[in-house]
Amino acid sequence: MLNFNSIFVLLTSKFIHLLLNIPFSNTSQALMNLCQQNLNSKETIMHNSCQQLKKEFIKKWIHGLQICCSSNTKMNILERKKKIKLSADIALASAKNSTTSWSKAIISEAKNDEQNAILVENLSPESKFIRAHQKVSCHKRITSKKILKRSYGVYRKMKKMEPRRCGSSLASCIAKRLVKKRTRVLKRLVPGGEFMDEFSVIKEALDYILSLKVQVDVMKNLVNATTILS
Amino acid sequence: MDAYWAGLDSGAFGDQLGNFGYMNIPNTGNFGNSNSASVSVSPKKRKGQSPQVVTDKEKKVKGCCDGDSKITHQNSSSKEASNNTSSKDKSKVSEVQKPDYIHVRARRGQATDSHSLAERVRREKISERMKYLQDLVPGCNKITGKAGMLDEIINYVQSLQKQVEFLSMKLATINPEQDFNFDNVLAKEIFQSSSDFPALGCSSANSAYYQLNSLDQMVSYCGLDMGINSAEMAIRRSISAPISVPETYIDSSSFNQLQSTVNWDADLQNLYKMGYEQETLIPFQPHQFTGSNEGINMKTET
Repeated sequence: MLNFNSIFVLLTSKFIHLLLNIPFSNTSQALMNLCQQNLNSKETIMHNSCQQLKKEFIKKWIHGLQICCSSNTKMNILERKKKIKLSADIALASAKNSTTSWSKAIISEAKNDEQNAILVENLSPESKFIRAHQKVSCHKRITSKKILKRSYGVYRKMKKMEPRRCGSSLASCIAKRLVKKRTRVLKRLVPGGEFMDEFSVIKEALDYILSLKVQVDVMKNLVNATTILS
Repeated sequence: MDAYWAGLDSGAFGDQLGNFGYMNIPNTGNFGNSNSASVSVSPKKRKGQSPQVVTDKEKKVKGCCDGDSKITHQNSSSKEASNNTSSKDKSKVSEVQKPDYIHVRARRGQATDSHSLAERVRREKISERMKYLQDLVPGCNKITGKAGMLDEIINYVQSLQKQVEFLSMKLATINPEQDFNFDNVLAKEIFQSSSDFPALGCSSANSAYYQLNSLDQMVSYCGLDMGINSAEMAIRRSISAPISVPETYIDSSSFNQLQSTVNWDADLQNLYKMGYEQETLIPFQPHQFTGSNEGINMKTET
């Protein structure tokens, strides 16, 4: 428990300011310094939005850690790690303000667990409108998907009965199968991705990658700072 | 993020897209194979939008759609006489029956029923998103084709998620300082800043610890200590001096996934071992914590 207190101390307002000034990573900062004049608008937009997201994320993460360490139970390392990660994830998701569906998925998943209820409610007050019982709707989707799959299997068998027209279609069939396999994996990776069609999964994955980068940067800087202090 | 997306959707990159060749996506059976390779995506042709996008963006794009359809109508009529090799000769506009209209032009020599056009719109959207992903994910510039790109994206997302896990584990292992020895901490830091910052290498806490260690007192501490009191001084110094911590395991720009996963597994194992060792030590130290806790509280109040 004292661990959270110390982290919280580190994350006081002055430190936040310094944390934000620490570059994304050493290499990216060097690159940006070198080609400062060549920065086109796209990168500046991304940079600014990343900085804003970072600030929001840090604020909410501090809040979450405060809540965590208000409980007096002594935790071992694994529990501490889980709490840290959970508070970081929820902080990141709520920093997006429910604009993207992966963030809503994370919050609703966390709501399902009663232990985290306090944490979620305090961190993301706007998440009151996000339902926690998403499992009901996904069950329906799963059963309807099974029916679809069965019918699709029949359709595929029928298609195979047709004589193949030329060799290129075989290659394209294989390619399509590969792509489908990988989109399935990607859907599993991105939170809340199983219920989306392929196009929106890619869009969500884009946003998710950006936010994960922000999260990794902040945590990395924190770890670096603490190791330097030791 | 929203500003970024608004820029994307309103076609800020339309000009850049127009220069790219069509992405080499495996064709469906409907289209002739010969034409697809030579066709390029033109920004003037269509501005499609998926109906799932936020409503305020929909209105903007609807306006764009209508305006564009008029322009392209005029363009095509003037171009019909001149250009034979252009792919915009066939001037048939089809409307997909959706609440927001997507104006698509059929290409020369290709099927014009609504299904195939809708397919084409969908594929173009996906390829557009793939291009943005190419910029995001490092090392994707040379890969063309959906399957390889998806592979890279999956690897990247998995690696980022593992990084988060690892970093949170690392943060969990930080132990607060047991007694505030200001002079000692200051002396340590001056000593460290004068010498080179040692490479943290694989950064399991133990190895980093031994590398940083130059004073005998540090050996006696069981975990990473934090000089909370001199936090600001240390940070200012660390910012001014180049932080030469080589992020061998967390270098997202030049990422070699195979090596890094191997490193992580070793690091995670080390950390878990250390965690279990520390578990036994933690219950023995509560009496010292109370004193330092008050110290911390006093610090926060000042």
